Amino acid sequence: MRALLTREAPMDLTINGKAVHADAQADMPLLWVLRDQLHLTGTKFGCGVAACGACTVHVDGQALRSCVTPASALVGKDIRTIESLGSAEQPHALQLAWIAEQVPQCGYCQSGMLMAAAALLERKAHPSDADIDAAMTNICRCGTYQRVRAAIHRAAGTPQIATAQAAPLASKAAAVTV
Amino acid sequence: MKRRTWILSALGATGALVVGWGVMPARSRLGTPDNMLATQDEVALNGWIKIAKDGAVVLAMPRSEMGQGVHTALSMLVAEELDVPLTQVRLEQAGPDAIYGNVVMFLGSLPFHPLDSEGGAKPTSVKAGEWIVGKLGRELGIIATGGSSSVSDGWEPLRMAAATARASLVGAAAAQWKVPASEITMQLGKLQHASGKSGHYGEFARAGAGTSPGTVAPKERKDWKLIGTSAPRTDLVGKTNGSATFGLDVRLPEMLFAAVRLSPMLGGSAASLDTKAALALPGVQQVVALDALHGSSAGFAVVAKTTWHARQGAQAVTAQWQQRAQGGLDTQHIAAALQSQLDKESGFTFFEQGDIAAAEKSGSKVIEASYTAPYLAHATMEPMNCTAQVKDGKVEIWAPTQIPSSARAAAAKAAGVDAEKVVVHVTLLGGGFGRRLEVDFIAQAVKVAMATGGKPVQLSWSREEDMGHDFYRPMHAARLKATLDAQGQVQSLRIKSAGDAIAPRWMERAVPLLAGPVDMPDKTTSEGLFDLPYGFKHQHMAHVATTMGVPVGFWRSVGHSHNAFFSESFIDELAGATQTDPLEFRRSLLQGAPRYLAVLNLAAEQAKWGSALPAGHARGIALHESFGSIVAEVAEVSVQDGMVRVHRVVCAIDCGTVVNPGIVAQQMESAVVFGLSAALWGKIDIVAGVVQQNNFTNYPMLQLAQAPVVETHIVSSTRKPGGVGEPGLPPLAPAVSNALFALSGKRLRSLPLVTQASTSTST
Repeated sequence: MRALLTREAPMDLTINGKAVHADAQADMPLLWVLRDQLHLTGTKFGCGVAACGACTVHVDGQALRSCVTPASALVGKDIRTIESLGSAEQPHALQLAWIAEQVPQCGYCQSGMLMAAAALLERKAHPSDADIDAAMTNICRCGTYQRVRAAIHRAAGTPQIATAQAAPLASKAAAVTV
Repeated sequence: MKRRTWILSALGATGALVVGWGVMPARSRLGTPDNMLATQDEVALNGWIKIAKDGAVVLAMPRSEMGQGVHTALSMLVAEELDVPLTQVRLEQAGPDAIYGNVVMFLGSLPFHPLDSEGGAKPTSVKAGEWIVGKLGRELGIIATGGSSSVSDGWEPLRMAAATARASLVGAAAAQWKVPASEITMQLGKLQHASGKSGHYGEFARAGAGTSPGTVAPKERKDWKLIGTSAPRTDLVGKTNGSATFGLDVRLPEMLFAAVRLSPMLGGSAASLDTKAALALPGVQQVVALDALHGSSAGFAVVAKTTWHARQGAQAVTAQWQQRAQGGLDTQHIAAALQSQLDKESGFTFFEQGDIAAAEKSGSKVIEASYTAPYLAHATMEPMNCTAQVKDGKVEIWAPTQIPSSARAAAAKAAGVDAEKVVVHVTLLGGGFGRRLEVDFIAQAVKVAMATGGKPVQLSWSREEDMGHDFYRPMHAARLKATLDAQGQVQSLRIKSAGDAIAPRWMERAVPLLAGPVDMPDKTTSEGLFDLPYGFKHQHMAHVATTMGVPVGFWRSVGHSHNAFFSESFIDELAGATQTDPLEFRRSLLQGAPRYLAVLNLAAEQAKWGSALPAGHARGIALHESFGSIVAEVAEVSVQDGMVRVHRVVCAIDCGTVVNPGIVAQQMESAVVFGLSAALWGKIDIVAGVVQQNNFTNYPMLQLAQAPVVETHIVSSTRKPGGVGEPGLPPLAPAVSNALFALSGKRLRSLPLVTQASTSTST
């Protein structure tokens, strides 16, 4: 089993609409094929355990955390990275909204944020706050969250909420020692 | 008020230098054209400004962009003086010259009470301290980004440099057009004269370089067009299309990748390494042993053709790890040791006023409380990394660093070459928060690059290594004691705290030139305790500096981050003890601090303090000064089904003159979210030397669904700019905790506020 996994095998991937040939072991995550073999560095490493979302790409239109997904499992699928989300001439509506709302700070998590948001809008053109809460589980240490929410609403043309009063209780918020 | 003369006597150690300097004028920070990179199409007018052939302005940028918007803010200062659109300012990384050193960051280490500088003339002790440290800062010229100091440090030198360039360009145009310089105007990158003559700056750059600027002054406030506006950040296109280059995004021909594995026991090392299995893996090339470098633990790096192969290799090495000689670290033992040090020692007095002993003797009621805060990791989104190439006696590094001066020195030391042989390229930083003021990962990368036959190598840490080998915010404990007089008014406040000092340890690791044989009292230990604005008649604040052995470092807002929790929670306790509303209680004590009072009032007003809230919601308030700025925050919280939720945080800030209010708002939002993760859940535990938290799964972060709405209100001011990146953080934890008290009646005196057992995540 170990030998099978460690043997490098050629694989044909479809990345950003192009056929790409890669040599990778069967268990090599897509993230590292993208970053270190194809030099598509827009997709980031953050945690390696699918907890932070910095590595989010699209596979057949769905958001996927590439740090734990072997590239070999994605042969024949349509893989899209931040590099293909719009272009200089025709930016994606989210990219324009991101700038209009001045979302990024350090910017490191923003590729993943944008890819998660784009997948959300593909699925649901007019997301509610609850939809955004559920879909956007990426971690940002700079705290850009409320601008991320505003930018998604802006791109989708949905109304902004005034406050988070109406937002549902976070499932992850933990018990206080009272 | 007692003058804290010790800092002056401490600096007496450098007395000989001071005597020499006394007769010299302060070193100019304007620089000369040769400080900048010489190119064909650009003309340097001084050490900061070049004019390109196309008329664009090129600015030497010595500060690191880590999210705080400093590249935009500093560009705005220059665009304002030169009357060019902000988008016409291009950045070039500043070289290693002393003119680019950060002076204000070091001024921030002076332990003076901020109220000393509130009124008109500063006391002699403050002026003398600032003079000596300012001079030292200019001589050392340490290029660093930290202490929320970039704008306040750049405020004078950058505007002067741009104004000087402006005067030279105008002078050159005046000579060519044979008109008086006073008749020439500048607008949107063009020089113009009423006669119809006009031209862009590039046309006059060469002549300008040979034209004396004469006497120069920056624009007057009333003439500002850009400063004070929410100009869009200049760094966002690359941050929305994947093209922005962080440290981990550097790609060079023939580049190799290295993964680091350090002793899981902090300060430990490898007794033996069995590398056979690792070297047998595909793509793995070699294993390089790493000594303890600049405060890191010892370990090894595996070099391979990709980061993933290198990490597979690192896991395949069988290592026999051994504890540091002093034995394994343990946070439970440290917590107990802090209490016993507080029992035994009186500590160093940072501030005293009135007669505390007499007041405590005569007081009719005593209120006492004991507070604690845990170790914390920085957890920048981009883990530690550095790319290095060592070839032909030269070293080149590409690093997400907050301190290029120390990175250069560390690289030179690691390679055994002179600093002149090292070139440092500073990339964008995927977060900094103080972690990247360290240089352990720089030296590691250079050590590995020395073993790769001249090929460049990108060394990076996994999240687990990053969390397990940080320079943590130190654990601190404090005891606070107040006495009430017969009328029930608070008459005295005594605070004694204990915890490790950061500055001396950091200097040993990152700036050994500044490290002394004995530890000087470190302001970071007591900031946020000794420097309160409240008018208690009798005060005494002391700190017991400990050396527990856990590597500790600067963590966003440093000592303020936990000390504000201690002091502002206790102030709330005193409000309760005197049966006063927390806002009214603070107001009554701020009569001698009008700027603080104005900030407090603005936050209270905007949050509608005292107005009705939905059932089950409550508000808490906190006020705190740090890094030259005053911030008040009102947090609205609820607890439903045992879950804490922070709905809204209203911030008011007085940060002096504001360069970009949009960026100020961003930084308040950022500090609130960063502070809230820490306040609710943040905690690093160490057992037998091993850090127990290793990823976001057990060191959880706030996510979008839990993020409060943050509102920012800015006090209009004409004072010099204060800091913005950090000051929003300290009041957050006490504002939330005070709100929880208002809700439940239970006072929480330990961070994090939420019990560790219940923080397990389910992403």
